[in-house]
Amino acid sequence: MTVFHFFNCAILTFGPHAVYYSATPLSEYDTLGTSVKAALVYLGTALVKLVCLATFLKVSENESFDPYQELLKALIGFIDVAGLYFALTQLTHRNISQNHKFQAVGLGWAFADSVLHRLAPLWVGARGLEFTWDYILQGLEANANLVFSISLAALGSLMWLRKNKPKSLIPIIYACAGIVATMPSITSYLRRGLGWHFPKVVGFELFTSLAMAFISWQLFSACQRPSA
Amino acid sequence: MATRKPGDGPVLESVYSVIALVFVLVACAELCGAATVVDVYRLIQYDISGVPFGSRLAGLNHHASSLHFPPGADLSRTVLVIPVRDLNLSYVKDFLSQRQPLGGLLFLLPQIFSFDSKESTGDGEELLKNIVMELEKFLIHTNIPYPVYFAFENDDINTVLADIKKNDVSGQPATATTGGYKLVVSTAEPKKVASPIMSNIQGWLPGLKADGDPNQLPTIAIVASYDTFGAAPALSVGSDSNGSGVVALLEIARLFSLLYSNPKTRGRYNLLFGLTSGGPYNYNGTHKWLRSFDQRLRETIDYAICLNSIGSWNDELWIHVSKPPENAYIKQTFEGLSNVGDELGIKVGLKHKKINISNSRVAWEHEQFSRHRITAATLSELSTAPGLFENTGNLADSGNFVNEAAVIRSVKLVAESLARHIYGHQGKNIQIFADEGSLAVNPSYIRSWLDLLSRTPRVAPFLSKNDPFVMALKKELEEHMEEVILQNEVLDGIFTFYDSTKATLNIYQVASVTFDLLLLLVLGSYLIVLFSFLVITTRGLDDLISLFRRPPSRKVKTA
Repeated sequence: MTVFHFFNCAILTFGPHAVYYSATPLSEYDTLGTSVKAALVYLGTALVKLVCLATFLKVSENESFDPYQELLKALIGFIDVAGLYFALTQLTHRNISQNHKFQAVGLGWAFADSVLHRLAPLWVGARGLEFTWDYILQGLEANANLVFSISLAALGSLMWLRKNKPKSLIPIIYACAGIVATMPSITSYLRRGLGWHFPKVVGFELFTSLAMAFISWQLFSACQRPSA
Repeated sequence: MATRKPGDGPVLESVYSVIALVFVLVACAELCGAATVVDVYRLIQYDISGVPFGSRLAGLNHHASSLHFPPGADLSRTVLVIPVRDLNLSYVKDFLSQRQPLGGLLFLLPQIFSFDSKESTGDGEELLKNIVMELEKFLIHTNIPYPVYFAFENDDINTVLADIKKNDVSGQPATATTGGYKLVVSTAEPKKVASPIMSNIQGWLPGLKADGDPNQLPTIAIVASYDTFGAAPALSVGSDSNGSGVVALLEIARLFSLLYSNPKTRGRYNLLFGLTSGGPYNYNGTHKWLRSFDQRLRETIDYAICLNSIGSWNDELWIHVSKPPENAYIKQTFEGLSNVGDELGIKVGLKHKKINISNSRVAWEHEQFSRHRITAATLSELSTAPGLFENTGNLADSGNFVNEAAVIRSVKLVAESLARHIYGHQGKNIQIFADEGSLAVNPSYIRSWLDLLSRTPRVAPFLSKNDPFVMALKKELEEHMEEVILQNEVLDGIFTFYDSTKATLNIYQVASVTFDLLLLLVLGSYLIVLFSFLVITTRGLDDLISLFRRPPSRKVKTA
């Protein structure tokens, strides 16, 4: 029954990516290449982040929240944003509309993130005899992460690819992008500084991901209108 | 671009309801802790002349249940977890005698019986001690065809047990289809111990031989058996039976070696100290040891004093003899001991039990001496002869229940009476081992040895040939005297023992199959809902419906 549990958690963690790809017009326009390229860029970004973390970060003995370390981690987290910028702007994509480009990039990004961070613990842990809720919560977190990545990619494409934006919306766009980019630091603060338990943190992540998705959708359609 | 406003409401609500369902699942199933790992100790497995006794299996992989299981439940694949504290002994006895198929038994012992416990004893503990002793007696003499383990109570196991009880009371016994706890012990199947070895240690303190005296000096022997036997061999420390005897012997050896080190105070008796093994098995080791004696040595032994369980008495000790009390040596020994006893405030009684040569059961160590025609007596706090495997270091005989002061008084009693006999001061009121002198009984010596003995299980078949503890005893005797001999003998053939006495138990909380299926259902519907949501929002409702109609060659790739 434990392989069953592994199977359940795997479809919770990786299913939505596949569903997203097949449900939206992404599959029709065959944007798989874009997603794969974005995944590779994510891998590269992860390696750079790893090296920076190893070089600059001190290992702390206890689980407490150290503001300076967290600030450092947040700064290194911006390398993520740089990677996304690279994936969105520098890579050559087939002639697909911006609409689909950011979705494909976000999807590839989130899929690589899930595989890198969640596949190994799942394979090792979920097949054991002992039952814990951790892997289901991890799957939910992967879902939230998918939504975050797509929102970030949307905001990123707004920031760097769209030339004519309404002036009033620009600060909002940057603010939202900032929030989404620092989400890992925020969750880490909640977990360590405030001592929230994992289910609560995952609930918070799900809620904020839906909120940010909604806001970025609104921003995106608002920026669409002048050029439409 | 299609606006998502019209289709928004009901779709969003369904997403929320899926999340709500997940939270309901969370609320129904209990949140669990990590897997618990506990040290467990197996019930002894042995044969007497081929007749099997004890627990015959070691591996365990079943669901756990408590005694509140629903009546008529099939228990052949369950392990019953029984805390000894609330044990209903007659119920358990009935249950075991009915020979119902059972996956296994796990008894939870209170912490007071463990090695490191330092709690004080009171009336409640006496009651517990009696219950444990009775349970043990029953288990040792029964053939049980499934694994039986003992474990100590701690917080983790107590929470697990409370959970199991709750599940059982609600009528939901743990099986493969409903969730619950699974107990797993993965050890190899027990094998016979090939040739169990008994190691006897003897020490010789020679007396002062006058020049020109051709005759051999008389010898006095002081003997104690050091090995134990109990329901859980890995827990059989025998602090009182016979750890107290061993400690007393070591202290007496130390005191007399101090006296004998100076030729001016060396007595005209040789002293022979014996730490024998094989005590629970009709003192087989003592028998083999005596059999190996030189005939001349045997003739010079005036008498022997055997020490057995002198650690938890209040003011009464017994001398057990097999020769009639009118015998000169017996009378002398008894009078000597009771005189010293009167001075120390100890009442010493005499008990005579005849030996039946045809009966192979040897209840006291002195009976082996008597069978080899050596006068001997046993000093013990027990007033009646113990039966087979009784008072041989059982589960209840842990360090908490032995009294260091009693051991000290016993040492004083034996040492004084011996010394008065050796130096010819019988009846005189002289204190050789006075409390403030250089020959005082050393309480910290006694305390540290008693502590060590209370932590060392000493079941002879499971002690290897050069076991460190036996070597330590030998080394300690070598500190006090020159001639120390270690003799290894094989335990007699009627007893066969099986290994695998200690294991680790893993307790897993497993989810039921229904839970997994339910989760699959939830996830499937979530993915379907997500799919339809995305199709509707990005491609429009018509596309969703057309997916189900499956018209041929619908998909058109646009550049």
